[in-house]
Amino acid sequence: MLITTVRIIEIVNLISQHAKDEAVLISIGEHTEVDINELIIALNSVNLKFIGGLFPKVVHENSILEKGIVINRLHNVENLFLVHNVSKKEYRIPQVNFDKNEPYSLFTYVDGLTSNISYYLSELYETYGMRTNYFGGGAGSLTLEQKPCVFSNEGFYQDAAVFCVMRMQSQIGVRHGWNKVAGPFIVTKAEGNIIKEINWENPFKVYKEVVELHANKQFTNNNFFDIAKGYPFGIVKDNAECIVRDPLMVNDLGEIICVGELEDNTLVDILNGNENSLIQASKLAAEESLEQAISPTKAIIIDCISRVLFLEDNFDQELNAITQTIKEKHPNISISGALTLGEISSYGEGFLDFYNKTVVVGLFE
Amino acid sequence: MAIGKSLDYKKSCDSFLKLVLKRKNLNAAWIIETKEKRLISKYSIPRGKEINIKSSKEIDWLLSTIKSTKLIKYDDRYEDLAPIEIKDGNLAIFTLKDQGFLFLFSKKNNLRTKDLLQLQSVIDTFSINLKACKVFAEQHNLLSNLEIQNQELSDYAHMVSHDLKSPLRSIDGLTMWLHEDYKDKFDDYGKQQLRLIRSNVDKMDTLISGILEYSTIDKNQVDTYDVDINVLIDDTLSVLKIPEHIAIIRKFLPVVKGDRYRLQQLFQNLIDNAINFNDKANGYIEIGALEKDEFWEFYVQDNGKGIENVYFNKIFKTFESLENNLKSTGMGLSIVKKIVHLYEGDIWLTSEPGKGTTFHFTLKK
Repeated sequence: MLITTVRIIEIVNLISQHAKDEAVLISIGEHTEVDINELIIALNSVNLKFIGGLFPKVVHENSILEKGIVINRLHNVENLFLVHNVSKKEYRIPQVNFDKNEPYSLFTYVDGLTSNISYYLSELYETYGMRTNYFGGGAGSLTLEQKPCVFSNEGFYQDAAVFCVMRMQSQIGVRHGWNKVAGPFIVTKAEGNIIKEINWENPFKVYKEVVELHANKQFTNNNFFDIAKGYPFGIVKDNAECIVRDPLMVNDLGEIICVGELEDNTLVDILNGNENSLIQASKLAAEESLEQAISPTKAIIIDCISRVLFLEDNFDQELNAITQTIKEKHPNISISGALTLGEISSYGEGFLDFYNKTVVVGLFE
Repeated sequence: MAIGKSLDYKKSCDSFLKLVLKRKNLNAAWIIETKEKRLISKYSIPRGKEINIKSSKEIDWLLSTIKSTKLIKYDDRYEDLAPIEIKDGNLAIFTLKDQGFLFLFSKKNNLRTKDLLQLQSVIDTFSINLKACKVFAEQHNLLSNLEIQNQELSDYAHMVSHDLKSPLRSIDGLTMWLHEDYKDKFDDYGKQQLRLIRSNVDKMDTLISGILEYSTIDKNQVDTYDVDINVLIDDTLSVLKIPEHIAIIRKFLPVVKGDRYRLQQLFQNLIDNAINFNDKANGYIEIGALEKDEFWEFYVQDNGKGIENVYFNKIFKTFESLENNLKSTGMGLSIVKKIVHLYEGDIWLTSEPGKGTTFHFTLKK
């Protein structure tokens, strides 16, 4: 459900009617003129259970909106959790009693601009393992200024994550459409989201050599992101697409700062994509999720905001490719989602990862 | 691969195995050790139940067939081997030699023979890393235990010394009263026995004081400040009874950094030792120092009895005395050595039986 009013009473009424005594997932476009702290107080006053996040844009059916509140009812929620201090690693993931005969899905929003997100995802997987599917994304502002962006009944926070565990079958498709230009290279030194060395050399020197030749463009003092947005790194992965890391800027030392962390000795390729390959990949993600789904009632799309920045006006085609593919098979399904700062899922139900420049489609039965 | 970056067992497993799980898109990894026909789990990702059970014949047979690595289809027969609940999938088993077996699990068919061959060499290195982690942990435990035992021993020596002094003082007082009150009634033999009791009490008192000093030398905070060794020798000689037949020769003595009380203990014990073991009609003790690059080399030389080479180490041990001498407790030189070591110096001696001994020691400038 999409809510466009900004009056708190109306929002609460609409959510209450939609929730039907179940918990809800609330995704809000960052330019929506609503006071989130007031909204939390009002939702608590009617005893609604919820988790949510603030995003550069939200998705409802075939539209992308800077303003608006998208509501998804969460069926059979076992637990809702809030995790503080993601960057400091000072938390414990609570235990959940899983019934081994039931399927489970875990949905999470995390502050996409905080550090140690990989550790948070690793803790989730270490605790819950293969007993659930995982799905979610990074919340935050397109200004890339870190501020409160995830919320639950307990409040509105930055450097935090919210998640829920639902007794529900889900099918997930993950694709990005970026293809290898050169590699593999070894990230011989990395610290958090900073690449400090590639092949024991200055990383920008190595990156520049490959990208300038391929793009037929020269890096200057102020055009790094303009060129680099089309040349992400890909962490090599066997049996699946590589994990994309988005180079954001280069510092005075020639180190490359990415969205998302890398570890020492990670093997990476330098990638490139075009409109066609990206749009085709989003269609594949939708098809992948549909392969196993029997009768899904809802689709949630978690798509990276940087794909919008890359595809610009053609991003509509990406969204169309996803919605049409899903609607062709399940015309009555509700489609919603968010354009995020990083995407979360497990490829083929493997170890959990934080992606960049990727589209994740989740179908919930 | 991130191997050998840590000597902590869990951290080593975390950094290496998470990378393998991500790279190969696998679902789980764990390590089992076999000890006296028992299976004991050492690590598991995702976290699972602790395994410590008797191995079955079937599992014994399976593990005995693994020379380096083996790929099997997982089924219920191997349930005891898995700390987490798993169903169908591929299970790769690698021998880690003395460190047990590593299990990698894939729900999908992401483990093939070529993957095993590719992983073999890095897993061999990982097994060496695990061995180093264990050795490091054992060394750490030994050091911790040693520190605790040293502290306990020192506390015990301190306590016993204090407790022993009290009855000793009583014996000394009682024998003195006996001597004074009954001096007319004791014959010469009786008086001699009383003198022997009192001199033994004296020796025991000196010995206990020595133990106390020895056990507290490195316990209290060491203040360092300029100490003029010339002045310190004046003070030391004033408290010692220098027999008339022994001459004290002073050469150059510098100002050093140290604690006055401990340095006086050091010189007093060496001079006292030189006095006690001088058998010459015209004895001498020469005290001096030589300037070296980074330290002062002191010496205390005498023309006494001298010491055989074979006793050079023995004399620095606690309670070791070369003669059954009432004046010697066997603590003096061990205290000297402990003080020199406290100041990060060295001590040694040169000696010729019948001609004399020189003790050399260094103190940092």
